[in-house]
Amino acid sequence: MGQAEWVTVPISTRDVDGPIYFSEEDWRTIEAAAARIIPTDHHPGATEAHVVRFIDRMLAGTQFVFAAADGVGFLRMEGREEKAWTERIELRRELYRSGLNQLRELSSERFGSPFVDLTPEQQDAILEQVSGEPKPTKFTFDTPEDDGQGGAPAGNQPVNEDFLSFFPLLVLNTRQGFYSDPVYGGNENRIGWSVIGFDGPPTLASTMDGSYTTKKYMIVDAEWPYERHPEVLRYRRP
Amino acid sequence: MKTKKNPEPVDVVIVGAGAGGATAAKVLTEAGMRVVGLERGPWLKPEHASGDELKYLNRNFIWQDPKLKPRTYRQNDQQEAVVTNFSATPQVVGGGTTHWGGMVPRMTENDFKLRSIHGDIEGASLVDWPITYDELEPYYTRVEWEFGTSGLGGANRWEGRRSRGYPTKPSPLSQIGRTFATAMDKLGHSTFPMPQGMVTEPYRGRQPFSENGFWQQYPDPGTGKSSTLISFIPDAINTGLYDLRSDCYVSEILVGPDGKATGVRYQDEDGDEWVQQANAVIVCGGGIETPRLLLMSKSALFPDGLANSSGQVGRNATFHQYSFSVGLFDRDLTDPLYGWSGHYMSGCSFDFYETDESRGHILGSLIFPSNLGHPVNWSFPGRPTWGSAAKDADRELFNHTMKIGILLHDLPVESNRVDLDPTVTDAWGLPVARITHTPHANDFAQEKWQVAKNGEILEAAGARKVVPVNMERITGNTSHELGTTRMGDDPATSVVDRWCRTHDVPNLYVFDASFFPTATGINPALTIMANAWRCADQIIRVDSRGWARR
Repeated sequence: MGQAEWVTVPISTRDVDGPIYFSEEDWRTIEAAAARIIPTDHHPGATEAHVVRFIDRMLAGTQFVFAAADGVGFLRMEGREEKAWTERIELRRELYRSGLNQLRELSSERFGSPFVDLTPEQQDAILEQVSGEPKPTKFTFDTPEDDGQGGAPAGNQPVNEDFLSFFPLLVLNTRQGFYSDPVYGGNENRIGWSVIGFDGPPTLASTMDGSYTTKKYMIVDAEWPYERHPEVLRYRRP
Repeated sequence: MKTKKNPEPVDVVIVGAGAGGATAAKVLTEAGMRVVGLERGPWLKPEHASGDELKYLNRNFIWQDPKLKPRTYRQNDQQEAVVTNFSATPQVVGGGTTHWGGMVPRMTENDFKLRSIHGDIEGASLVDWPITYDELEPYYTRVEWEFGTSGLGGANRWEGRRSRGYPTKPSPLSQIGRTFATAMDKLGHSTFPMPQGMVTEPYRGRQPFSENGFWQQYPDPGTGKSSTLISFIPDAINTGLYDLRSDCYVSEILVGPDGKATGVRYQDEDGDEWVQQANAVIVCGGGIETPRLLLMSKSALFPDGLANSSGQVGRNATFHQYSFSVGLFDRDLTDPLYGWSGHYMSGCSFDFYETDESRGHILGSLIFPSNLGHPVNWSFPGRPTWGSAAKDADRELFNHTMKIGILLHDLPVESNRVDLDPTVTDAWGLPVARITHTPHANDFAQEKWQVAKNGEILEAAGARKVVPVNMERITGNTSHELGTTRMGDDPATSVVDRWCRTHDVPNLYVFDASFFPTATGINPALTIMANAWRCADQIIRVDSRGWARR
């Protein structure tokens, strides 16, 4: 059955409270690691966004890969695409399994306790070791750009996660869980978006019927030549 | 594999239903011809689309899955090619017009005669187009009006003669466009509204877009963004003469003992194999899949692949490259840019398009400002990736970043090519396309100069920090695949003639961007559609005389 004919299954990433894929222990470990990747401060972080639920649902199988367009239910994948995603998810499960083992072993060796019981500083030290790089330092406009590990945006191409190792995959998945549409299990109440000031859609359906619009952030009355138009000339001036 | 009765022969079978294939289908069926369209991808509808970043940008809902449809890449013949998702382009009904941002500027008059202007360039295979701007102009106008576009006629002063303006007004100005236009003016440069494949006013039964901001790389759930999916394909279907079969993968173009094409062999979604016979075959699979199909169609008569007596099939490949400078603005000093509002880009300039040899290179590109993406994929070089540093950077800069990009006008080079990988196969067991590509020195010079210039514009706009993002190689990140069945008058040096008919096989045509003799520094879709219309007219007027009645 072709992709256009895939049926929508009325399931939600929130049907179950806790893990579907992870063990309770793994769930808590990933939750704790994600909380160091996007920490909670005066704004919510990965914990409040339920990033671990996002990751758990991603690893649970092909049932949560593609949300239905309106966000009510998920597409039941079929055929070659379903097989390719089954293989992809299995590969990610292996990466998470070995990554979790590494966290477990390092925490025990260095601090004699499970990762979840370590102090935030100890957890950061473990994550630094897993990543093989020092923990990123604060960005300033004077920092040379080769200091940070984040690269340029992918431009106009899809992002391929298939070649990532455990730590960069965990970092990217944490980001995805914090910022992707809540339908995938994270970004609870769209708190990820509120942290950075993205006035995103209340629902996926609202992007389909025109009810969600970004118009108020534009200068809709300006006409070309823009640089001489009064709306531009007086923009944000009292 | 079952054996069933093959479908009835038709006038024309068109491989692919993107920009070129759908335009041909519309023009031919409206002239009364029976056409079968075979598209290897699914027929997704607008109601399958919504503003879901993860689905479209990270989980590749409309992009080919590289596990199923890999490609390989190497720099030169001495290297072993490696599997790379080179030039991912949606393989769906509507093709690249589904995910695109809809940039539809016209080529300039000079773009048609670059060899006359520049002479022989060492290491490049520069040629003139066998047609002129004036020959294409009426078709540019037809496409702009039939397809649905927005823009301001006369605002681009580098454009050639234009017989008519745009059917709908330019899309609204975003903060990014405002910032770009004022900075360019400050530097003494000009800008104009980006001509776009969208309608901004009610037009031909379509409603203007909703400004949901999910534009570049997202198919449109409404009828604002123009795609062949919602325009030319319905037009063709409404004639009752277009039978479009999606999820149908063509593996071979068949030829008869007289050396003429008889039809194609394809597999449907159930794996059943069919032969579709036709009076003529038009290939529109894109500049990578089209030469791949020609090269796979080997026979006793055509041992080196179909239409390849010149040995030029797959050669002279150009891909553009999207490079840019990123501007980071200080939120204590600058108003938010809200890059996610509007339509990804806003405004453009042709001030650097035509050659100025004092820059140290020839040719040039249009430039245009755009956002850095939605929250998941938003990034900039040097962004801290985790911990409070990462959170701070996201919080402080997400609404205070933009970029100014170029579309590299890369030179054709004969050794840059697409052929069949000798070992890697796709999920159907067929050899995949292998890309062999090294940019010309002029490509690097042009790219470096323009990216630096874009950085100066960002500085003039008030950016606190500017980061150039230069290419190390060409990656196919524009989804523009050009030049691989070059158009020309001489059968020894080109694959298709001025009507995009192959020199070797008189009833075989290529209507996608494979025909581009040179790359241009603009997006190709408008030119693909205008040229497909022009060449389809020739089939109707001349080539179809004497065809068996279907």
